[in-house]
Amino acid sequence: MARTNTAARRTGTVVAFALMLLGALTMVLPFLWMVSTSLKESRLVFEFPPQWIPDPIDWANYLEVWDVAPLAVGLLNSVIVTVLVVTVGTFSSTMAAFAFAKLDFPHKRTIFVALLATIMIPLVVLIIPQFLVFVQLGWIDTLLPLIVPGLLGNVTMIFFLRQYMLGLASELLEAAKLDGAGYLRIYWSIFLPLCKPAIAANVIIVFMATWNDYIGPLIFTNSPENSTVQLVIASMSSYYKDQTDYPMIMTASVIAVLPVILLFTVMQRYFVESFAFSGIKG
Amino acid sequence: MPTTALRSRRINRRERAWGLAFVTPIALQVILFSLVPVGIAVFASFTDWNSIRDTRDFVGLDNFAEFLGDKYFWIAAGNTLYMLIPIPFYLLFGILFALGSHRRTPGSTLFRVLFLLPYVSSIVALVVLWKWIFNYQYGLVNQALAAVGIQGPDWLGDPAWIKPTIVIMIIWKMIGITSIYMLAALKNIPDVYYEAARLDGASPVRMFFQITLPLLTPSIFFLTVVGMIGSLQTFVEVQLFTSDGGREYSAATITYYIWQKAFGSGQLGLASAAAFFFALVVLVLTLVQFRLSRRWVYEGE
Repeated sequence: MARTNTAARRTGTVVAFALMLLGALTMVLPFLWMVSTSLKESRLVFEFPPQWIPDPIDWANYLEVWDVAPLAVGLLNSVIVTVLVVTVGTFSSTMAAFAFAKLDFPHKRTIFVALLATIMIPLVVLIIPQFLVFVQLGWIDTLLPLIVPGLLGNVTMIFFLRQYMLGLASELLEAAKLDGAGYLRIYWSIFLPLCKPAIAANVIIVFMATWNDYIGPLIFTNSPENSTVQLVIASMSSYYKDQTDYPMIMTASVIAVLPVILLFTVMQRYFVESFAFSGIKG
Repeated sequence: MPTTALRSRRINRRERAWGLAFVTPIALQVILFSLVPVGIAVFASFTDWNSIRDTRDFVGLDNFAEFLGDKYFWIAAGNTLYMLIPIPFYLLFGILFALGSHRRTPGSTLFRVLFLLPYVSSIVALVVLWKWIFNYQYGLVNQALAAVGIQGPDWLGDPAWIKPTIVIMIIWKMIGITSIYMLAALKNIPDVYYEAARLDGASPVRMFFQITLPLLTPSIFFLTVVGMIGSLQTFVEVQLFTSDGGREYSAATITYYIWQKAFGSGQLGLASAAAFFFALVVLVLTLVQFRLSRRWVYEGE
């Protein structure tokens, strides 16, 4: 009896492994194809059967792509926007989360509910009037619409971190207050360090959302000098539609997804764990 | 005694001041970039605000009558509902992958990272890649189909195939993140349930349907609601795959329709009205989901 059970379990593991491997291949092969195409000479692209490992491997696209499209400008703009939004925004968000979780102040509930309500509004309702606001401010075709709102914080991150901080003992706050520590100090040297894993997870999410954003740049910017990397890739793709210079487009795409994939791979543990302790109850 | 009271009142005042200071940035953001815009949008909905013709007069409910009478609005509405198709598929595959991960199949950690690659990558890069893989003549997919003697369709050009192509991409993108949520839910199921069932001689299949699945329903519900709200707002894929909503408007969604009206032809009033109507429909559908959830979502003892 016990023997058949182990045998059954082993068969189960083999089947599960095979299916998961198949799934993982489905996820990865398109990316490998992207890299493979980027390393090909144009004439090899339409080869049949397709070559997975190009012969010869041609790195030239990675040098030429910078001249073909304003990719360097796009990358620089994306770096500026993302770095500012992620760093400053994280401070704004964690401070707000700290206040909502641990401090007592007037209209706390009202403000919190207002935040909750705004994330329920579909983006399409907000994007048109936001555009009008940015026109009034003279911010259209600058990076400001992509940066300024993000500097002020991120509502999802605030919810998440508030939840996390509620789980930390309030005695920490009381003890520090008795020791005469100011609120900024308590936030900075007690609560911020305790939230590191949760912050790490949220940083990945905000980084991803900002770096990958396409709708914002599409609507609020239009000249090439103010394009982000996503916009550069998109316009390259539509420009090359008829010429089908796939190696060049794939090269640009590899460069565009690399930062996020690297960050994600390094920090994936936090990313995965964050969902475990977010304790979704529906 | 009075001094302590005084001191604690002073502390309270400081706490209130700091609390307000800490939430000021996000409050400013919400006021400037959400509440004020909503106000403008309400106003715009009832005007013929047009950025090209430079009009901004009150027109009552004309905008609502206009888009409700527009054939393309209804085509877009149909396409928007079509975008709900991926949800059951990525839920199913996500649960299966989570189950495999949960029983500690070798390679799980690596697989989990690989499954998330599409999710973390930008939609722009994915669409560009997809356009290449699903290229009618030279794409990997049609070449593979040709190798087994099947003539693959024109995935991106044929009005009958563009929506399925988008659906396949969304399923592919969402399986990884779904499984992460499901895995978290699986880990929260106490082992004692399974131990008790095993003592009663329950089969693994029975345990899945009697224990695992019911306890996953809160997560399934959460992901269905979030997925529905997201899917109904599908836009970027459509905008990138097609330059005009697809042949015969075959891929255009409501959000695409609104975007086109606002930023293509400058009809800000009409677009705002349609956006409000759409938001209301999404809200109603969400409430319906919550209502229906009482019938199938496990709520605990």
